[in-house]
Amino acid sequence: MSILKAQGLTKVYGSKGKMLYRALNDIHLDIQKGEFVGVMGPSGSGKTTLLNILATIDKPTSGKIEIGGVDPTLLNEKKLALFRRRELGFIFQDFNLLDTLSIKENIILPLVLDNTNIKEIEKRLHQSAELLGISAILDKRTYEVSGGQKQRAAIARAMIHHPAILLADELTGNLDSKAAKDVMDSLRDLNEQAGATIMMVTHDPFAASYCKRIVFIKDGAFFSEIRRGTNRQAFFQQILDSLSVLGGNFDELSTIRN
Amino acid sequence: MNFRQFAIKNVRGNWHQSIAYFLSSVFSVMIFFIYAAFIFHPDVINGHIYMGKGVRTGMMFCEYIVAIFSFFFILYSMSAFLKSRKKEFGLLSLFGMTRGQMRKMVLYESIATSLLAIGTGIALGALFLKLFLMALSAILDLAEPIRFFIPGKALLLTAAGFFALFLVITLFTLFQVGRSQIIDLLKASKKPKSPPLASVWLVLLSLLCLGAGYYMAYTMTLRNAIMYMLPVVGLVVVGTFFLFTQASVIVFRFLQRRKGIYYKQTNLMTIAQLVFKMKDNARILFTVSVMSAVILTASGTFYVFFLASKEQQMDMLPQSISFHEKGLDTHAVIDPDKVKSILQEDGVKLDYELKLAAVTAKVPVIKQNRDKTSTAMLVSEDDYNYYGQLLDRGRPILNVDPGHSVYVNRFNEETQPQTEIGKPLPIQIEGYPNAISLTVDKQYSGEAVASVSEMLVVDAAQYDEIMKTVPNDKKIVVYGFELKNWTSQADTAAKIEALVPEDMKSSFDNRISLYLSYKQSMGLTLFIGLFISVLFFIASGSMIYFKLFTELEEDREQFRSLNRIGMTLGEIRRSVTMQVAIIFFVPCVVGIVHTMFAMKALGNLLYTSALQYSLVVVAIYIVMQSLYFFAARRSYLNRIIKSFTR
Repeated sequence: MSILKAQGLTKVYGSKGKMLYRALNDIHLDIQKGEFVGVMGPSGSGKTTLLNILATIDKPTSGKIEIGGVDPTLLNEKKLALFRRRELGFIFQDFNLLDTLSIKENIILPLVLDNTNIKEIEKRLHQSAELLGISAILDKRTYEVSGGQKQRAAIARAMIHHPAILLADELTGNLDSKAAKDVMDSLRDLNEQAGATIMMVTHDPFAASYCKRIVFIKDGAFFSEIRRGTNRQAFFQQILDSLSVLGGNFDELSTIRN
Repeated sequence: MNFRQFAIKNVRGNWHQSIAYFLSSVFSVMIFFIYAAFIFHPDVINGHIYMGKGVRTGMMFCEYIVAIFSFFFILYSMSAFLKSRKKEFGLLSLFGMTRGQMRKMVLYESIATSLLAIGTGIALGALFLKLFLMALSAILDLAEPIRFFIPGKALLLTAAGFFALFLVITLFTLFQVGRSQIIDLLKASKKPKSPPLASVWLVLLSLLCLGAGYYMAYTMTLRNAIMYMLPVVGLVVVGTFFLFTQASVIVFRFLQRRKGIYYKQTNLMTIAQLVFKMKDNARILFTVSVMSAVILTASGTFYVFFLASKEQQMDMLPQSISFHEKGLDTHAVIDPDKVKSILQEDGVKLDYELKLAAVTAKVPVIKQNRDKTSTAMLVSEDDYNYYGQLLDRGRPILNVDPGHSVYVNRFNEETQPQTEIGKPLPIQIEGYPNAISLTVDKQYSGEAVASVSEMLVVDAAQYDEIMKTVPNDKKIVVYGFELKNWTSQADTAAKIEALVPEDMKSSFDNRISLYLSYKQSMGLTLFIGLFISVLFFIASGSMIYFKLFTELEEDREQFRSLNRIGMTLGEIRRSVTMQVAIIFFVPCVVGIVHTMFAMKALGNLLYTSALQYSLVVVAIYIVMQSLYFFAARRSYLNRIIKSFTR
């Protein structure tokens, strides 16, 4: 079953009389339920624009999107926000946890906003906390926990309302290699055990090696696609090869981790 | 771009944060300039203006208040503003800006701001000066309005004075600049916020202080006022301080534990953010509450005096025009027929007319008078009741037995019995052969007849008996004329008063002129004081406004990510409105409650319903605060929402 379907997505920046800049050019993407898809590309290739459009916080100039059978470009501001709240889960590079709330309060925020009853909130909180291994830190505040724990809390927040798809943006960008591994392991568990559908934009070949499929884009257009076999090590090598074919500015390559 | 231009660009870049501070400064300059223009007005100095000298003294006093207030307000605002820019300073020194350069930059910035504030303030002052002088002329009832004139001295004093003020304060605050380490400056806004703590004991102390202060204010009387005044102020201030620093935290903590409330849509966000805001802003909110209480109490007091004067005059002098004479039909003061003919001439209608014959009596009093007696007028209960009811001011119907009496005095403030109660007293009546014995049953405050200081109300039959014995030339007669629309009959009353011979003036009372002159001076005080109140009000609001915008960056980030995970704009608006409203209205409400108790105390002292009168002032304050709130909320929301809607 197709969860996310994008057809002919094009995004053009610039207004009348100015130079036009084509950030995205005719992108097609189809993500099935339970998939774990990575999007890679050099800086300026349009990854973030793509993610923003799929996250419904930006609108395409042309093309069609469907998420869980709904075209978000047809929704008004309020319905769109509610759509994001119910159907999408977000994980950001800089966590975006609120200082004023405890870890637990941060995680349950989407449910609270939706006025879910308290028993249900508590039940789901414990489920996700257990899955992500953060049960022990629920009552701490954001500045009392490590970056990896923060990101796992953010993942818990992104999935607690059982969204149709999780959208992750460079989620290991601010983490050291150990924390990045923990976070990616958690994400994999989420995908494999809980059956979550995930789309992840990343620079990092190591993080990308957890995906089942990777789409490469360059200059705003589709470039190539690779699928993972059984061996992650081999897949990692395959990613590196593809990147070197892709070329462009991949300065993060120097920080290869394993 | 040279250095000076860079500094001026900074001012422009920060205008959103400092606009309220800037406007408050402009307003101070404006008020100062308008007062100075009056003080140095040549017609005022030369004494060509009625009451000019007195008003001038009052305004000079106000100038001092404005100057002292401006000093502290600008000092506070500037240092708060510099503190909020720590990160910017850190970045600049990271780029290699020296401490000296940074100070120079701040100096340039504040010179630019102050010149702009002074210029705008004086320009607005000159614009409104004419209006001010016209209003003043109207209140002073001047035939010819004070002419528009901008004295050079006023201009110079305002410009030079405020420039010096700004400069001194800037030099003061310059010490703050460039003293911290770069790393601290850069991290200043990133420091984790620890959750606020509160002690239950301090909350109890706060409630105890407020309770005790309120109780003392509520029960304040003339006798204990001097003893109570300072403790009440002290207790309330201490109570308010802990109310904001401690009790607010406890209240929010309580709400956070109530999951039914806390885990309900935007409440989670709103309450969690408020907890931190209350902690950061406790001092500001405390200051603003106390300032609101001061503004409201001061304006309320003036207003109550202004309004209560009419009632007090009506109690003191129950008839508009009144006089008393010794001996029946002597007309040494003025012929009542003459009064009536003048009234008729001017077409003034009478409400009622009073002619009351009585005798004077010497009553033994408790007071330490030399002769231990006081002169009172002996009247019949029928007369008192008849004229008392005509006043329609809640006078009682007295029913006095023969041999008994009620002692009536005119001053409300007199609560101590002046004569011995319930004991037969020897009373000397002028023109009556022997002393009679009367028992004073009770003492009552509230005259029915003007011109007399005290009255002894006796049984009607006993009164008739005494009046028969006393010869006519020993009797005393009171005439009173209550005019319809009395407050606007000043001219007629003055015409009548002019006919009274000089040596008889003390037996004649003209309530109209008394009331009007009192009203005029109170109106004047109210008018001049009004500007000071508005200044305080604007400044206190600007402190809140400034705090709000210091936190804007942080809040914007939070709301941006909340919008991304699906908080609707409507929900964000609701949460922001709630937070801004609490920050704006909590100090307002606390200030109002303080004022209510202060007004209750004032009412106790003045024997009027000060509380009810002051409601007008409170209502105006609420309206103004609401306008301030809506303006702040609007620009705050615009700035937040603009950042994430494309």
